[in-house]
Amino acid sequence: MWKAVRTLTSRATTSQPRLRDVVIIGGGPAGLSLLAALKSSRVTRDLQCTLVEGGSLASVQNFASNPPEEYTNRVVSLTPKTIEFMQEKIGNWAYINEERVKVYDSIVAYDSQDSDSRISFDASAIGTGTLAAMCENINIQASLWERIQELNMTSDVPAEIMDNVKVEKIQSPVEFSASEALDELPDLLEVDPTDGMSELDWPIIHLSNGESLQARLLVGADGYNSPARKFAGIQSRGWMYDRFGVVATIKLCYEDYRSIGWQRFLTTGPLAILPLRDDNATIVWSSTPELSQLLLKVDPEIFPHLVNAAMTLEEVDLNYIYKLLEVDPSDKSVLGEIEWRLSKIKLLELDSKYPLPVRELVEGSRARFPLKMSHADTYVAPRVALIGDAAHTIHPLAGQGLNMGQTDVAHLMAALEKGAKRGMDVGSTLVLEEYYANAWPGNHVLLGVCDKLHKIFSTDFTPLVYLRGFGMKTLNSLGVVKDLMIKLVSGN
Amino acid sequence: MESGKLHYKDVNSTFNVDKPYKSRSKPNYPGHVPLNAFEKLLMMAGSSIGSYLHPERNEFIVGLGESTAFTPVLRRLQRQMLSDPVGRQILRERPRITSESLDLDYLRLLPKNTIGSAYIQWLDREGVSPDTRVPVRYIDDEELAYIYQRYRECHDFYHAITGLPIIIEGEIAVKVLEFTNIGIPMLGLGGLFAPLRLRPKQRERLYGIYYPWAFKSGLNSKPLINVYWEKILEQDINEFRRDMGIEQPPDLRELRRKQKKLPEPERENAN
Repeated sequence: MWKAVRTLTSRATTSQPRLRDVVIIGGGPAGLSLLAALKSSRVTRDLQCTLVEGGSLASVQNFASNPPEEYTNRVVSLTPKTIEFMQEKIGNWAYINEERVKVYDSIVAYDSQDSDSRISFDASAIGTGTLAAMCENINIQASLWERIQELNMTSDVPAEIMDNVKVEKIQSPVEFSASEALDELPDLLEVDPTDGMSELDWPIIHLSNGESLQARLLVGADGYNSPARKFAGIQSRGWMYDRFGVVATIKLCYEDYRSIGWQRFLTTGPLAILPLRDDNATIVWSSTPELSQLLLKVDPEIFPHLVNAAMTLEEVDLNYIYKLLEVDPSDKSVLGEIEWRLSKIKLLELDSKYPLPVRELVEGSRARFPLKMSHADTYVAPRVALIGDAAHTIHPLAGQGLNMGQTDVAHLMAALEKGAKRGMDVGSTLVLEEYYANAWPGNHVLLGVCDKLHKIFSTDFTPLVYLRGFGMKTLNSLGVVKDLMIKLVSGN
Repeated sequence: MESGKLHYKDVNSTFNVDKPYKSRSKPNYPGHVPLNAFEKLLMMAGSSIGSYLHPERNEFIVGLGESTAFTPVLRRLQRQMLSDPVGRQILRERPRITSESLDLDYLRLLPKNTIGSAYIQWLDREGVSPDTRVPVRYIDDEELAYIYQRYRECHDFYHAITGLPIIIEGEIAVKVLEFTNIGIPMLGLGGLFAPLRLRPKQRERLYGIYYPWAFKSGLNSKPLINVYWEKILEQDINEFRRDMGIEQPPDLRELRRKQKKLPEPERENAN
């Protein structure tokens, strides 16, 4: 009886939702990757897929034909494993603008409290020559876009991408109470697949353009505040770091032939300079809220010197300089202070132990975002799967965020392919559980390691400084262990 | 060959062998005498025994001071200076205090209540000159060596603002003040062991009056190492003491004279 009423009222108020096999919320790298991977796989390419993105993808579409002159500030590090996945499984690597991808072969990380406490990872040790590659977010998105366009040309069931469309509400059609569920067992004969209002338990997604979709599988690739996760009632646990990541595109004095990624652990958070093509580089400067605000407003002429100072000088000098800049963000006297303190370091040391000096800041490339650690209790619920930032957010100090999203896509694809091959419903937990089982533990380890690294290095408590210095030096001299770590992280 | 090595035997190789235990590393600054760890240890031991037995001999005090000025201690002092505008100015300009850098005749013309006047009065009363400070030789880092030099040259100013004389009790009291304020270990050693050699009367005076004063003033006052003495010679000394948070101790010479006069028989016993 109630069912009939509900059916009637729904029919009266809303239009029929369109049935789709997979609806992906979020057009970031994770969402687009999944869409491209679904359409590339022989097993899943006939699934009806829709991707919904709240923002505009115009810049992504234009990137291939008309890339921006300067590097954009959202740059990520791709591990060899991710690149391989993109080459062989998704097939979007062919569309990557490789002129804007920088392969680098070593990483040097060092402690601000003692510049001799350092550890260097070198790809030549594992014989690949590639430790990781720096690539703009938008470059990845654009290549995925191109790949999806290519697949759509030949596909019987083309993928559908809707941008500038927001998800207004996600609703479950079967919201009866527990007692009701006991009273009336669903009658399978009543299920009418052509009628969206029937006993299907597929979630209904109401969109801002008035349309609504009903999905066999809803994939949340919708970031930290994931509506899909909230809909599924999955808890996400973690904490804010009370730190912001400041990103910027910069130019070095000249091209660094060494192609090293540098990272210095300051007590305010790590600062990394990562190489891009030619004399370009990108920085990620994790800093306290006050410092990050200061970094955004410092005179663009002073900023490059400030980065140089933060990569080389002692923290006492940095704190003094911050104090001067706090009073006047364009106080040119700090240049003299920086030059004087730099002159105390031997040239030979400056050359071999520190990154190249920064020459200039690309105008308007500075931005900041809050850093947090979060991990969802599970990635799957009936008819829902979470990937990328919707499932986990990580401190950027190891450059693993995007790569974890790609691992999610790989594991989810494996589970969906298996389910599809066996003729199962790809939205059922029976299929999805495998994805969660394979992806969650690895992510949890990475999240934990990065979280602890952040904590160990965000103090200048002397005993801990000695201890971590000892640890770093020891690790640095243990080649075997280091190679193992590189293999683990780069996925070889 | 890959690493730039020759692949035949160098005929001179026997002559080019490094002998690290015999060679001495190059000095890091003019006047620097690089010592190895063993030599430093030896110097520390020798100079501490020497300065206990003969505190009046300068070379022992100098050696003890430099050999116990461990790098972390000096680094802390360096950090203290680098986080203060004046401290940074001092490190940048590297002023030295000598009878040439200070115009002593000009100081004599300053009003009585100024720091410069107090300084010259103290010099004249004690009969010393700013040139009696030897250069630092055994501290390896160049900037740290300067910091130690600066501390050493400012020592007379600490006497001047407190009015303590260079007789042993005065020296010990200033040392304790310096130790609690600046933290150089030798000063603490001095404060700990030097009174053991004194007569009970003197010790009583130190423990009863001057140690409490030194602890209080040293811990409460702003870092003395960050004072650019050359620039504040014209400043009022009382105002300066108030700014820094240093109290003036009782005049030691006066106190001795009074105590000597009063209990005559006791003095006989003590001698």
